[in-house]
Amino acid sequence: MERRSMMKWLVRCIGLATAAMVGIPALIAGISPVWMYRPRRNVWRSIGPLDDFPIGEMRKIIVSLPEEEWGRALREKAVYAWRPSAEEAVVYSRSCTDLGCPLTFDPGSQCFFCPCHGGIFDKNGKRMAGPPNRPMYRFAIRIAGGEIEIDLNSVPPMA
Amino acid sequence: MLKKTAAERFGFVPFRENVLYRRVPETPWYQGDGATLTTLLMIQVITGITMTLYYTNAADHAYDSVRHITHQLTLGWLIRGIHYWSAGIMVVMLVLHVFRHLVLGGYKAPREGTWIVGVFQFFLVLTMSFTGYVLRWDERAVYAVGVVLNMFHNVPFIGDELVLLVQGGPQIGSLTLTRFFSVHIWIVPLFLIGLVGFHLYLVVIHGVTSRAEQKHPVRTAKEQKKVYKEAAHSEERGEWFHPRTVLKTGTMAFAVFSIAFLVALAVGPREMFPEGNLIQQSMPREEWWFWWYSALIAQLPPAIAPIFYVAFPSTLFIGMMLLPFVDRGVNRGLRKRPFWTGFVVLCVVVIIYLTYLRTKSPWTGWPDSTPPPTPIGVVISEEAESGRRLFARYGCNSCHAIASHGRRVGPDLARIEHRMSQTELRNFILNPTEDVPMPSYQGRISAEDLDRIADFVLVAQTFPREITVTGKVTER
Repeated sequence: MERRSMMKWLVRCIGLATAAMVGIPALIAGISPVWMYRPRRNVWRSIGPLDDFPIGEMRKIIVSLPEEEWGRALREKAVYAWRPSAEEAVVYSRSCTDLGCPLTFDPGSQCFFCPCHGGIFDKNGKRMAGPPNRPMYRFAIRIAGGEIEIDLNSVPPMA
Repeated sequence: MLKKTAAERFGFVPFRENVLYRRVPETPWYQGDGATLTTLLMIQVITGITMTLYYTNAADHAYDSVRHITHQLTLGWLIRGIHYWSAGIMVVMLVLHVFRHLVLGGYKAPREGTWIVGVFQFFLVLTMSFTGYVLRWDERAVYAVGVVLNMFHNVPFIGDELVLLVQGGPQIGSLTLTRFFSVHIWIVPLFLIGLVGFHLYLVVIHGVTSRAEQKHPVRTAKEQKKVYKEAAHSEERGEWFHPRTVLKTGTMAFAVFSIAFLVALAVGPREMFPEGNLIQQSMPREEWWFWWYSALIAQLPPAIAPIFYVAFPSTLFIGMMLLPFVDRGVNRGLRKRPFWTGFVVLCVVVIIYLTYLRTKSPWTGWPDSTPPPTPIGVVISEEAESGRRLFARYGCNSCHAIASHGRRVGPDLARIEHRMSQTELRNFILNPTEDVPMPSYQGRISAEDLDRIADFVLVAQTFPREITVTGKVTER
């Protein structure tokens, strides 16, 4: 190899090494949430005693969110819950399955309305109109000590 | 003498000779859209830096710090106002800049590199225009993040990972805001300013599409350079970049910025909505420069929507990157490129129409406890009056308007073509046909309430198509 070519090759190597030595750790630190929060562990939260939910009535419940390591801003979120029958309880995320806008339940028509792009769901969470292509997100539930508990991480991370 | 020495010592001489005092083909004022974008970017940098002196990117305090800038800080409202309105106008100018080059063929040889750098700038400016309003950390900001996260969630195979990457934490919160802050204040501006410098450097090297190039077909970069050089050095068809071109394009830049400035003076910055939360009933809306896109999304059938969120931006990016290599036509300029002229006109019309549509949002249903109005002077029967109130109580007006008053998801009941009989109405309310997004009222409405609602709708069908209501419509 010619002396000049060798020097050019060395310059490239030094440049690349410097870039890699700082760039790779910076990139790894920057994208670390991708593996830090996976797999998502169960986070159970009580939404109240079973008896507080009359059969057939939709209720908006506020649940507290888990703390982040060093601070948090959105401490609570609202969910919709109801009991279709004595044996069954359903808890929905308010997040529209189209693009996540906050659904509102209309007691008159018994429908959920999305304020953004026209998503409408019935009381069973089934899509009636708009771009959503799947039913409303339902939280995993369990009954513990007479209370309904939901797993906050049983819906997608942004829901 | 001192001036001359200083210019020489600080390296201004080559800049002066090669950039300022160079000959360019005569440039019309409207080619100042590029200068306008550069000016607006600088204004964003200055007003943005001013706000970072006061802004707090901790989610517990971010909202209050923006309120402080707006309401307490001397002239803070004006700084935020200029930043907000310049941002919106910058997006508009950016789209016009791209459209102008589509019409002209501004990406043709030897300007492929200028175009490709510009494509990256295009997407970076759009990123800025979105991440900026997230920093307000009001209700709209939080749901705007939600919308973007849901878009990423549709990416095949790595949707969940992308959501966590953008969200920065297990849920939307402090880690999300610091991430958006970093993207808006550091990462994107660094790349964007660098690319603007690169883009301008290439504009100096290759010039912009001149009138001379539009007169005859130009096949190669060599041919273009010859035509361009001839025009630049011609007495009639050329001019000095400084001060002549700079004056024309600079005037346009100043005029456009003045619009942002005057609007900021007149109406101030974007109003603040309630602080970011995941609890309250809310009707969030994107900023006005995204309205057309939102209206487009609202038209999507469910089978297409999830694909569209990923495919549209990807196709746009790939299409723009490949354009200079796919469009090998030899003609430049508006008159000789009817396809692209037509395409741009169509895009402008569609964008304006969709923007208008978003202001009406006829696809949105929403609870409303106010019964619909009746025409002035029209007295309806007691039964129909009772039905009017039940119309609101049963949520009929969450979707149906009466004579242009109310939501438009379902048909306006004063405007339906085929008037229904009482029996037809009753049956329809109890069991709507499969093809309409209306809930069945079977089993949850009494026969009497059903009759009263049908009574009201029967009367409403005879109302004029549009009625004027004086004062506030209240429950009688």
